[in-house]
Amino acid sequence: MPFEIHLTEWQILFVKLGIILALVPTMTLVAGYAEHKVMAHLQHRLGPMYPGGFHGWAILLADGLKFLYKEDIIPERADKRVFSLATFAIFVPAVMVYLVIPVDRTLIIEDLDVGIFYLLAISSVSTIGILMAGWSSANKYALIGALRAGAQLIAYELPIVLSAAVVVMLSGSLSLVDIVEAQNWPFLLWPPGIGLIAFLVFTMAGVAELTRPPFDMPVAESEIITGAFTEYSGMRFIFSYFFPEVANMVAFAAIGATLFLGGYQPIVPLEFLEVIPGIVWFSLKTALMLFVFLWIRPTFPRLREDQLQKFAWKILIPITLALILVAGAWVLYAPEAVR
Amino acid sequence: MAIDEHKLENARQLKKARKAGYGIGLIKGMAVTLKHLFKHNTVIQYPDEKQDLPARTRGVIALKEENCTVCMLCARECPDWCIYIDSHKETLPPKREGGRPRKRNVLDRFAIDYALCMYCGICVEVCPYDALFWSREFEYSEYDIRELTHEKERLSDWMATVLPPPELEVGAEVPGQPAASGAPATAAGAAGPGSAQRPSPPAAATAAAQAPAEQAERAPAAAATAAPPTEAATKSQEQAGETKEAQPAGRAQPTEEKAPTGEGTPAAATTTATPDAQPEAVKSETEAASPEQFDRPEGDKAAATTAPEAKPGTTDEAPAAALSAEDKAKFQESPGPNVEVPHETPQPVALQPTEDAEAVYKQVLQEQLDKGSSPQVAEARAKVARVKAERGIKRGPTPIQTEKMVPSAPTKGQPEPAEPSGAPEATEPKPEQGPVAETSEETTEASAPAEKTPAETPPPAPDEPKAEAAPAAGGDDDPEAVYQRVLAEEKAKGSSEAVAQGRAKAARVKAERAKKNG
Repeated sequence: MPFEIHLTEWQILFVKLGIILALVPTMTLVAGYAEHKVMAHLQHRLGPMYPGGFHGWAILLADGLKFLYKEDIIPERADKRVFSLATFAIFVPAVMVYLVIPVDRTLIIEDLDVGIFYLLAISSVSTIGILMAGWSSANKYALIGALRAGAQLIAYELPIVLSAAVVVMLSGSLSLVDIVEAQNWPFLLWPPGIGLIAFLVFTMAGVAELTRPPFDMPVAESEIITGAFTEYSGMRFIFSYFFPEVANMVAFAAIGATLFLGGYQPIVPLEFLEVIPGIVWFSLKTALMLFVFLWIRPTFPRLREDQLQKFAWKILIPITLALILVAGAWVLYAPEAVR
Repeated sequence: MAIDEHKLENARQLKKARKAGYGIGLIKGMAVTLKHLFKHNTVIQYPDEKQDLPARTRGVIALKEENCTVCMLCARECPDWCIYIDSHKETLPPKREGGRPRKRNVLDRFAIDYALCMYCGICVEVCPYDALFWSREFEYSEYDIRELTHEKERLSDWMATVLPPPELEVGAEVPGQPAASGAPATAAGAAGPGSAQRPSPPAAATAAAQAPAEQAERAPAAAATAAPPTEAATKSQEQAGETKEAQPAGRAQPTEEKAPTGEGTPAAATTTATPDAQPEAVKSETEAASPEQFDRPEGDKAAATTAPEAKPGTTDEAPAAALSAEDKAKFQESPGPNVEVPHETPQPVALQPTEDAEAVYKQVLQEQLDKGSSPQVAEARAKVARVKAERGIKRGPTPIQTEKMVPSAPTKGQPEPAEPSGAPEATEPKPEQGPVAETSEETTEASAPAEKTPAETPPPAPDEPKAEAAPAAGGDDDPEAVYQRVLAEEKAKGSSEAVAQGRAKAARVKAERAKKNG
């Protein structure tokens, strides 16, 4: 350190908040743009080409501006306080997830000892926000959407938590930095099979948790318009639906990269790759996860509601429960092989 | 048995394929989408880049006004009733003294309401006179629905964007050949000059000479009756020259074109004022074949190119031998079908009276006699040739024939071997004087394509029949250069921006095609 800056705790807190509040929207915009483009090219289209001049890079800024100009309408019979609070209940957790994700060995806002616990807890809060939005809208589509979302998010919370529990058992820590450090090459394939299966379950449940196709019943536009967000308009719509959706997608990609793909570690443990900063590796892995999410969306058709529930309760959860047994046995009988 | 086994085998295979494993289908699906990520996308960024639309695209319907005879078929067949036609009748003086005055239709309004049109193309199909064509242009949306009704001026402007007809397939029946001459002949019979040229490959003739000819026809022919033949001729020449403000080529042509045209002929006959002279008109038409015959020995190939199309019809007088192999070959080269865009060079016109008239007379006389024509016919033809030589007119035959040509004229009933003995004066039939009240404006408009043709077309080069006729596709020019040139020319002429661009674009397209096709 060539120079030292002494900051009070409060100042540090504000700096961290500033970074978060600058970084999250930027990443969201980048991911949203990527979604436009990747999906378009998967479908032989070009996607946005005009806004901003170069390949439509400013499409989301233009979109945001458009929503800014739109009228903010709250239905007359809506529970107005809950209606407006719901936005925050959804938006704030989406941002707060980023607090504990280790972008690099030292680049982390708050290395909580219970990092993964915090992560899973905070990401479940948005379920309440969605239920609030749907209930307060005084709209049948919103209500159906909210109930679907509640059922789906709770159902798929379990496989996520259980597969994360497998990782926690294998690494022996709840801190995300420790989890990353505990992972060795090859990240997914060691211990044999366990990590890979947990990763697949996590990814599939993650897609469902994000209510993205093929698990997008809660916002199935052909059936229930935009589900719980049917009555939201203008910037309220952006901050309760569009922004959290993309932000959560990036967050899930980042969590997946952290828990299963070795986070900020180089992809292959070679000396010269250590030169490349961890943030690059982390970004690459996150982008890979993100691409998988985007890739799935135009590939599969939407499931039926009962198929969705069946898939969670009858397939994913039993698999992860069994996986926990296997992981426990592995930790018990071959503890030296874990590290 | 065998079938059952086959079915069983199929079912087994299907079962095997389906049994591939849990989730394999998902991975296959992912592979499919991933593969498509790297495929070249097919998006055309429309306003920036434009698709090269197929030649038969139904973009907009163009009207070739000169060809319209107000038969109303299109308006009646239109399922949407979106074609509006107004016309009035015009009385032309009788063909000969004592005859009945004739009537003809004059198109006053022709409009298509593209807000109603469903682009079925029935009007284009049904038009017997080739007055309607498909164009590929499609960018004519408007803010006001009323603007979507294109009046005939606008419809005529689209003509500049109509593509030349496609080449015939190898071995296709060539329309207009004697064997298959039924359709063209009848069309010609009904249609008068404009449509007579329809089956003709050298549609250039249409473009170049037709407009003035039509003009003269429409005009009341009063003056013609009084004027002595030669004067009338010169007058009409001059007049045509004026209206077209064109070079000598343009001047000489109209007179010629008019002379043998179906409706022009009778009027010409009136100049002589004797019933005897009437067949003269017939002759003057039939002789259309003869100059060509005497041209050919001189190797005037360009003239020959135009010939075949006149020939198929001249069944009675022009001997079948006239359809020489050479002509046939030429005819086959030229794409026959009936589309407007000039395909061939305009008919060559030699302007200086270079030939010794007497020599021509003798030559033609001899030729005719050798051919076995009766002395009278031979003499008449020779006289015609002489007169023409004196005037400095030399050209191929017009695509018109005596018999089928004049629909309602008395000629039709005439016994065709009407080789009269006398009436030498009437050798050159005169068109009616084209007096011309409405001339100036319409002529300039109608002859717009015509103006270009003589001006820009390189001297007739029989080897490349298609290239030149296109208003500007001068041989192997760079399409872009052609575009610029035509644009400049159109602007100089005072065409509107849109028209100029349309024509320039059409020229460019043609140049590109010509280039592509070698």
